Amino acid sequence: MDHDRSARVWGAIRAASGGNGAAPSLAYAVSACAQALSAAGAGLAMARDDGLLEPVLATGPEIGELDELQFELGEGPSRDAVVTSTPVLEPDLTGLEAGRRWPAFAAAAADRGIRGVFALPVAAGAAKVGVLTVYRRVPGPLAGDLLADALVFADAVFVLALDHRQGISADLDEVIEAAFTARRAEVHQAAGRLAAQQQISVTDALARLRAHAYSSGISLHKVAVDVMSDHLRLDGDRPLGKGPPRITPRPAHPEQAEKEEEED
Amino acid sequence: MSASDRRVREVFIELSDTLVDDFDIIEFLDRLAARCSELLGVSACGILLADHHGVLSLVAASSEQARLVELGQLQNLEGPCMDAFSTGRPVQVGDLRDARTRWPRFAATAVGAGYLSVQALPMRLRDSVLGAVNLFSRSTGELDAETVRLGQALADAATIGIVHQRALARKEVVTEQLQSALNSRILIEQAKGFLSHGLGVDVDEAFAMMRSYARAHNRRLTEVADEIVQGTLTLSRSRD
Repeated sequence: MDHDRSARVWGAIRAASGGNGAAPSLAYAVSACAQALSAAGAGLAMARDDGLLEPVLATGPEIGELDELQFELGEGPSRDAVVTSTPVLEPDLTGLEAGRRWPAFAAAAADRGIRGVFALPVAAGAAKVGVLTVYRRVPGPLAGDLLADALVFADAVFVLALDHRQGISADLDEVIEAAFTARRAEVHQAAGRLAAQQQISVTDALARLRAHAYSSGISLHKVAVDVMSDHLRLDGDRPLGKGPPRITPRPAHPEQAEKEEEED
Repeated sequence: MSASDRRVREVFIELSDTLVDDFDIIEFLDRLAARCSELLGVSACGILLADHHGVLSLVAASSEQARLVELGQLQNLEGPCMDAFSTGRPVQVGDLRDARTRWPRFAATAVGAGYLSVQALPMRLRDSVLGAVNLFSRSTGELDAETVRLGQALADAATIGIVHQRALARKEVVTEQLQSALNSRILIEQAKGFLSHGLGVDVDEAFAMMRSYARAHNRRLTEVADEIVQGTLTLSRSRD
């Protein structure tokens, strides 16, 4: 586990948020990402409830226009990243491949002096939140550690967006702790199980698991294990964004007061 | 212990036939893991890939046991896979009971699951390592040199699957493929959980049902998983 990389990325988000105290927000995460990657700017497009994507945040008007342009033209790296759930990393828009793939967008972006576009899905499996797109004036790949950093920024945006859905602004250390465990198999199994139980989307299920972890002080991994073993049912009779859902603990084995075992 | 040359040839032909355009990477790695344990005469085989956090996750296995997933996750703390991944060299442990000081938790969990020896082979691509292949045996003893060579050839085939046969793939392409494989696996975990509720089965059985359905209908495993969590495909329990 490369704690250094995560710490560096979250540190950059914290710094962009104005240092200590302030809860990290999506806008600061997007601008910290653009800065860390020496980019002209970055934009975030998010999925609406009907599944359509719309640009919601950009580091400046020109970047916002580029994001809009991709969705107006119906072509571009961001759209492809969403459709394939895979990063689309284009080091040079003036290259042959980019021109063939996105003729109108590549030309329009190159006219504005943009050469590299890196579109990163903000998603985990079926939980598709949106896409983070980084625009650079210098052609060439994201060298060295920058590519991995970009992916960590996309992860950070993902967890911030999930928490934002639930109206949570957790303190940064809690966010980071929950971000580390978010990639574990049990967490995603539990999100699928909760989605089926409550007939909600996997995105909302994942957001609820995190909200419960915050409000109860139990680790996300432990919450997931409890959901999978039916020791915990998260009742879904409350509208989203109105605080944490009601909890009905079901002590199947009351004598089994399990000890927390965190491995992250 | 070692498979016949003919069977080895058959397996490599089968694997290269799978590498058509638009193949399902998880399905490919799953098949490869199953062939690995057959040809190398081991009890179980798990394929682990590293993400951009340097975290290893199990993306495919010869038998989808929750125990193997757990062993994979444990290896982010300690274990042969993490060692093979960080050094780029194979790691052989002939008797896990002697490895309790080296990897206390991993050795205890593996032995508890009935595995007595383990080998980890790095998945190398030029100067980087993408992950590792983990081989577990219920008996003690190291694999002989020839078997390890064959294992490494299979680990290399897994790497080729990820880079999409493009031997000179740019770093961006490798990253794109790796992310795609890891994301597909997350989707499969979500679908396992979804099915476990709907059908009242455990996650291992949920996976088996998904895979049988995909194979019977000649569908990509990832697409089947996606339709399950979207609620557009409902599987029913077979009564056999």
